Amino acid sequence: MAAEPMTVRSPQYVGARVLRVEDKKYLLGRGRYLDDVVLPAMAHAAFVRSPHAHALIKRVDVSAAKALEGVVAVLTGEELAELGSAFVTELQRPDVLSVTKPLLATDKVRHVGEAVAIVIAESRYLAEDGCDLVEIEWELLPAVVDAEEAISGDAPQLHDDVPNNNVAHIEFATDGVDAAFAAADHVFGKRFHCGRSHAAPLETRGVVADFDLGTEQLTMWSSTQLPHFLRTLIAPHLGLSEGDITVIAPDVGGGFGLKAHVFVEEAIIPLVARRVGRPVKWVEDRIEHLAASGHAKEIVMDVEIAVSDDGRFQAFRGRYIGDGGAYSGFPWSCLIDPLPAASLLPSLYDVRELGYTVDSALTNKCQTTAYRGPGMHPGHLARETLIEDIARKLKIDPVALRVKNCISSEPYVTANDMHYDGGSYIESIELAQELVDYAGFRREQLAAREQGRYIGIGFSPFVEAGTWGSEGARALGFPAEFYDTASVTMEPDGTVTVTTGTFSHGQGHHTSLAQVAADRLGVRLESVRVVDGDTSKATWGAGTYASRTATVAGGSIILAATDVRDKLLRIAAQMLEVSPDDIELYDGHATVTGVPEKTLPIATLAGIGYFGGPLRPEGQEHTLSATRYYDAPETYSNGVVVVIVEVDIETGAVELQRVVAVEDCGTMLNPMIVDGQVHGAIAQGIGGALYEEMVYDDAGQLLSGTLADFLYPSSMEIPSIEVSHLTTPSPTTEGGMKGMGEGGTIAAPAAVVNAITDALAPFEPEINHTPVRPSDVLALVARGPAQRTPKP
Amino acid sequence: MKRDDNHDGAIVDGEIEVRLQVNGASRRGRAEPRMLLADFLRQELVLTGTHLGCEHGVCGACTVLVDGAPVRSCLMLAVQAQGADVTTVEGLANGELHPLQQAFNEKHGLQCGFCTPGMLLSAAVLLEENPAPSSEEIREHLSGNICRCTGYVGIVEAVQAAAQAGGGAEASVATTPAAAS
Repeated sequence: MAAEPMTVRSPQYVGARVLRVEDKKYLLGRGRYLDDVVLPAMAHAAFVRSPHAHALIKRVDVSAAKALEGVVAVLTGEELAELGSAFVTELQRPDVLSVTKPLLATDKVRHVGEAVAIVIAESRYLAEDGCDLVEIEWELLPAVVDAEEAISGDAPQLHDDVPNNNVAHIEFATDGVDAAFAAADHVFGKRFHCGRSHAAPLETRGVVADFDLGTEQLTMWSSTQLPHFLRTLIAPHLGLSEGDITVIAPDVGGGFGLKAHVFVEEAIIPLVARRVGRPVKWVEDRIEHLAASGHAKEIVMDVEIAVSDDGRFQAFRGRYIGDGGAYSGFPWSCLIDPLPAASLLPSLYDVRELGYTVDSALTNKCQTTAYRGPGMHPGHLARETLIEDIARKLKIDPVALRVKNCISSEPYVTANDMHYDGGSYIESIELAQELVDYAGFRREQLAAREQGRYIGIGFSPFVEAGTWGSEGARALGFPAEFYDTASVTMEPDGTVTVTTGTFSHGQGHHTSLAQVAADRLGVRLESVRVVDGDTSKATWGAGTYASRTATVAGGSIILAATDVRDKLLRIAAQMLEVSPDDIELYDGHATVTGVPEKTLPIATLAGIGYFGGPLRPEGQEHTLSATRYYDAPETYSNGVVVVIVEVDIETGAVELQRVVAVEDCGTMLNPMIVDGQVHGAIAQGIGGALYEEMVYDDAGQLLSGTLADFLYPSSMEIPSIEVSHLTTPSPTTEGGMKGMGEGGTIAAPAAVVNAITDALAPFEPEINHTPVRPSDVLALVARGPAQRTPKP
Repeated sequence: MKRDDNHDGAIVDGEIEVRLQVNGASRRGRAEPRMLLADFLRQELVLTGTHLGCEHGVCGACTVLVDGAPVRSCLMLAVQAQGADVTTVEGLANGELHPLQQAFNEKHGLQCGFCTPGMLLSAAVLLEENPAPSSEEIREHLSGNICRCTGYVGIVEAVQAAAQAGGGAEASVATTPAAAS
């Protein structure tokens, strides 16, 4: 390509809507996902899973399965226990009990779908045939499927070492919270039950393991969000050192937090591969995925707000009982929902008196795992729908009530010591009001009601606790170290290789992180390659989840690239005979500022750096490479989701007419990708509000076992989503980025529910659970005092 | 559907030889009668662009074109495709990206990419039938293809952009044996 004249400069990459460099392979069908990994002599695995919610295993007979032609091996829980060790989930805090999960169930099963035996065969078809021949004798036990009942002291016990089925009881209170409630003009409260959800990425889980009997080293592929962390966590259970394990995350078809865990199957498949002496593949089917991977977000919440006559919030109080299912998801534990729900209770409100309790119940359901906006989405629903109810009761406009109690744009420390780094809290609400013409909508709403039409608007302003550096994790209640590392290497020809321990699985990091490195080194974007997803190729890192990559990986890349940049500047300064301070690196060239003819290609500097002999500055190491770590301080995005609905009171149908989002995540690396994250997060929030729920009957049978029961929203249910941006760069993070990607899921459910409440205002509805189905809408209408106005 | 009855294979060791046209080329492979078309394409013919998201006909990730019509290849047996003309995502580009593929890149119509092959093929059929669809028509047509990442915003915009770029009229896939080379 011919050199462009210096006067026509490429735009700065950070902040530009750069098209994704990774798209083409997916568009051509050349993505390589887990199930596309094929190895010579590879065998296939399938699991025998429990049909019962709670039962003792009296006998397992695998003889018929073993005798089937094409079956390579069949292993039971007892055999697996001899090969590797059980998972023990423990949070690093004394008030949380550890929970043990055997690799395969040995003595009893605790939920429908729990794995009991594994069949290895020449094909997946034959492995499933083998599963059908495994005979198990059960002794059924009573099941508990209600979180409150589970910890009532009167329920069947799931684990002998978890008394009362309660993994944790955590309390927080400011000194004056009870007094504030006692003295308040008004105390409003509500109970809210957030439905049991499921991240349900379109690609299920899967593992391929190849244990080399010669080197005694393991290569495993897993559809995971955290390849390095997976290796660190899985090695002890395999009896191997980390150095003997390579974990490769191939292309991953969505994770949404679910794949930011380590699952027993990720230990079992390597263990059986070693046992049978052949590579083994297991790809989860959708039925297994729904029943036995990870559920999410079911919390029973009691929230109270003390309010003065003039509508000032004086104190918040909450009780959160999480329904963790039968085990404590590894490694984050079943606190992953109820604890963030409670911790983020203050959200964007200036409330100095605060109290909450958290319980984390075990029940005979699938374990819970993180799913986009874990805990924050249910907690937000409880608080924001209560605020909507309060506004109606005090006859104050719900948006005005929120603005009246909102913190300013300055950094703010909440009553439970979360350190917000400033944001456009009020400004985003006001912008959203303008965008939807709030006053105009209210007029339209009155006119519609005259015609017997029920339209409503719901506001849901949010603070998103993303990023998950050490401080941010601790603020949410998870005390451990979470940082990330990156290496930046300029190769001898001036191209750049970035490696990161985060892992892109749809977020476009190969573009957005390349933008960061390209800007810092002054090279063109196409010169930068981002390598992730392979522990043998990339530096150690904790993985991609909790909206952390732009901030934590971005920060580590800025630091590492700056080290390399400094070397380039010194080389350029020596060659161009000026001070390093007078050199500008831009668009692939090092140029003396203000003297465009004094310029050198950065590729030339790179060559000098490696092979330049005396041209290299004295004492400078040959390599143009740096590895740096970054642990972001606490940082919080904010924004608003507004939803406008029309509710059909004859059918109960809720039609989303408009969805407007305002997002402020500080410095944006790539606004196109940010928009995509907002769109996707809101769509999942809408799913949770109206459609998706994992339902069990009283005996613990799963009733949502297929995608005909667990309803993904389609393109007919999700309207176009309008996204606007405000930018309040973080004053504390490298580059000013704030974690984003979950706000839409946190906020959209409350926006939908509040819009329904608003539309049905004449019926004085109080919505206290999600999803809100048509039958729920009809019940609200039937209970309400308003006369049903027939449509003209 | 047209079928070439001469291609009915014999059963050998429980397997049947399946002969069909895939992306304009004659292909053959062996399949047990129970083998899904999706598994046959992926495992026997090593065309792994076709993805399996649910294997019970809901998510649409496995959508391929059989004799020009969109089909869930997880709900069809390989032996039922005997003699058929199948198009998979690997057959969309013909030297250069299909206008839909180009538009999906430009409008951010994909994130993780897992639903993308099925989405592209469904959209291609729409543009053949209706070269200038409204956004409502696009949404209705694609409602059998689930995307968990994008909220469909970029996808709908991409299909509209591809339509405006002549993706329906000029880049027919369902009836043209393209990309054989």
